[in-house]
Amino acid sequence: MARITNYQYKINDIGVFSKLTNSYALVADGGSTSFYRAFENELSKRIPVIHTSIAGCRIIGTLCVGNKNGLLVPNSTYDTELQHIKSALPDSVEVKRVEEKLSALGNVIVCNDYMALVHPDLDRETEEIIADTLKVEVFRQTIAGSVLVGTCSVLNNQGGLFHPKTSVVDLEELSSLLQIPLTVGTVNRGNRLIGTGLVVNDWRAFSGRNSEWKEIDVIKSTFKLNESHSPTASDSLRARLIESLT
Amino acid sequence: MESGNVFQDKFIEILKAGDIKCILLENSEENVASTPEKSWKSQNPNKMSCSYCHIDFSDVSVQREHYKLDWHRFNLKQSLTGKDPITEQDFELKIGNDDLSSISGSDSEKEDTLNTYAAAQGKIFLQSGNQIFSLYKCLAFKKKDELDDKLMIKNLNASCVYKEWTVLMVSGGHFAGAVFKGMEPIVHKTFHCYTVRQGQGGSQSSRDNKSGGSNAKSAGASLRRYNEQAFVQHVRKIVKQWEQEIWRSDLIFYRASGPYNKSILFGGSNPILEKSDKLRKIPFMTRRATFAEVLRVHKELSSMQIYENMEFVVKHLDKHRLLCRDSKRNRSRSSQINRAKSREIVSRPLPINYSPENNSRVNSCSENEETEHVTLDSSLQEISFDHLQEFEIMEEPREKTSKKKKPKKSKTKKLQEQETERKNELIDILCQGRIFKLKDLIENIGTNSDENELNVKKELQINFVNEILDEEGNSMMHIAAINEHKELVKFLLENDCDPCKRNKKLQTPYSATSSKEVREVMKEFAKQYPEKYNYNKAQIPLNTLTPEELLEKKKIQKKLNVKKTR
Repeated sequence: MARITNYQYKINDIGVFSKLTNSYALVADGGSTSFYRAFENELSKRIPVIHTSIAGCRIIGTLCVGNKNGLLVPNSTYDTELQHIKSALPDSVEVKRVEEKLSALGNVIVCNDYMALVHPDLDRETEEIIADTLKVEVFRQTIAGSVLVGTCSVLNNQGGLFHPKTSVVDLEELSSLLQIPLTVGTVNRGNRLIGTGLVVNDWRAFSGRNSEWKEIDVIKSTFKLNESHSPTASDSLRARLIESLT
Repeated sequence: MESGNVFQDKFIEILKAGDIKCILLENSEENVASTPEKSWKSQNPNKMSCSYCHIDFSDVSVQREHYKLDWHRFNLKQSLTGKDPITEQDFELKIGNDDLSSISGSDSEKEDTLNTYAAAQGKIFLQSGNQIFSLYKCLAFKKKDELDDKLMIKNLNASCVYKEWTVLMVSGGHFAGAVFKGMEPIVHKTFHCYTVRQGQGGSQSSRDNKSGGSNAKSAGASLRRYNEQAFVQHVRKIVKQWEQEIWRSDLIFYRASGPYNKSILFGGSNPILEKSDKLRKIPFMTRRATFAEVLRVHKELSSMQIYENMEFVVKHLDKHRLLCRDSKRNRSRSSQINRAKSREIVSRPLPINYSPENNSRVNSCSENEETEHVTLDSSLQEISFDHLQEFEIMEEPREKTSKKKKPKKSKTKKLQEQETERKNELIDILCQGRIFKLKDLIENIGTNSDENELNVKKELQINFVNEILDEEGNSMMHIAAINEHKELVKFLLENDCDPCKRNKKLQTPYSATSSKEVREVMKEFAKQYPEKYNYNKAQIPLNTLTPEELLEKKKIQKKLNVKKTR
């Protein structure tokens, strides 16, 4: 099921202010009540929803990256924040600080529970930490000519949504590499930077309030969130949407 | 290459013919491929391929492996910069040449291309038939105009055929202006008012603006204030007189840096110069506004270079650019000395020891020099074998005459060979981690000596154990640690092998090894015998906790936290 919400009035880039995985959700402080209510209503029965900041910033979605196995935070994270996150997370989740030049980890890494695509310039050490902590295979990649793979794409274990300028060849290759179906699309009424407007896990997706129903439908079908999934109808819709975008 | 100017008939003829076009330069060093190959298509039906590296894969595991290679990363970079991918063989070659700068990516410094270099100088290059000209861009285009052939020809025709140009320069209370017809000035005027503050610099008005309400009341300040106004009026008056000429001229070049100078030319209710298509800034550095400078500016602006062919242009510009770049780099290098970084250790020859016998025996100066040279030679060799040859050296005093030295040299050579052999053997033993062999060797050392005193024996053993074995300054401990033989490291530590020794990279054994286990062993040893060595110097942390202790500590902390939250 997909849900729309906004962080504050007129701020729809919820991907920037939150992080959602299969075993926990992080939300930034200072959002609107409806934002928190949306997350807590949908998630708190199954996974913890943690209110936190990272290095005193609210843009936690761009700063950290994680999946069900672990969470990576940049080196600038305060000790108190780290302690808070650690104590609130389930025991199975490993939290690690990463000393990396490209400190906006959420922008340069995108992952599901098994695979990760990362910025080509990421350190070797960071790559190893990602592989160990998140228990994923790491591939260096660019998406649609951009190195910020985290902003240009969103993955869960059933599918992935990519920047509309990703070429068909790339999409097919990545699909064979990651072994999941991939599509292109937009969020928040045509925003091509998928990562900023959308957070997903295996059973829920949250997208910015501006999102159109067409976009939401693409999101639902790509990430297999639709219980009554009818491939033909949504496929034709998706085709139309992509056509109108290109 | 010849120089000419734009008023020459030759150029005007070419202009009238009208077959000129702008050209863009390409770098001579790196020929960027014009269009990246898009023709490559995967033959694989399952799309198990990499379009960045143009390669197909037989199965998924191979594909995954490929995506982790440096080669793939390099090609990703290539595609980001719009270049063709390179094959694996080429990449291997590149790695062999240590040409890996492009892999490490973003921090590589971008060099100016020839084109941007030319643009930075404010020049454009024109081609007409085989000839190539370069002239100042401002003659043909305004600042924001795109390079367009038709517009250029029109503008050039207008400006070069009638030949009337105005040059005005205002700066720091100096005014210089002239109207030229061809190369000859028709009217010109320069004058100077005292407006710039002595010592501090800057005009009085800008100073007044900065200081707010409290203006300086000194005689000089009021004089400058008055002069500033007088200066503006003066300039106005002059330009008013030249109104006809300026209106007629095709191009007006001006220099007025800063808001104050600009306000003189463009400020006021009816400004001196109106905004028009003719106005151009002078595109290079100028000196103080004088008539000579105005002449120079005009000459420079109207100058034009003629090159025989394209290659020549590229070569010429390249040379200039490299010069510029070098000087830039040198400047930056000299200004930035990293004082935090330890300096390189330079090996200097040891000072020469003058033995009293030598000095007394040798009389003439030249002979002195000769022997000096020889003694230097021999002393160097002997220093390196001190530990091996203690007894020989003690027994045999140094040979004195230069004649006798020749046979000795060959002897030392032999010794040297033996020495390296022995060292290599030792290194082998250490690399393979054969403790027992080493134990035997250490025990044997003492027995060779004539004196069986315990002290001497011990000393010899310590010397042997702490010996430096290879060219990188590694001691036994280093080699054992680097090759990750835990037992050997422990054994060496027990046998007085000093862990504080540093190799030429200034690493202690602890920092030289990459294995955690070896480090654990060292830490443990440090805990057991806290007094034995200087562990601080050896960079072995003393107060670390074992993993079990760490876990316990974590647990306690967690408990505490839970309590706190409650």
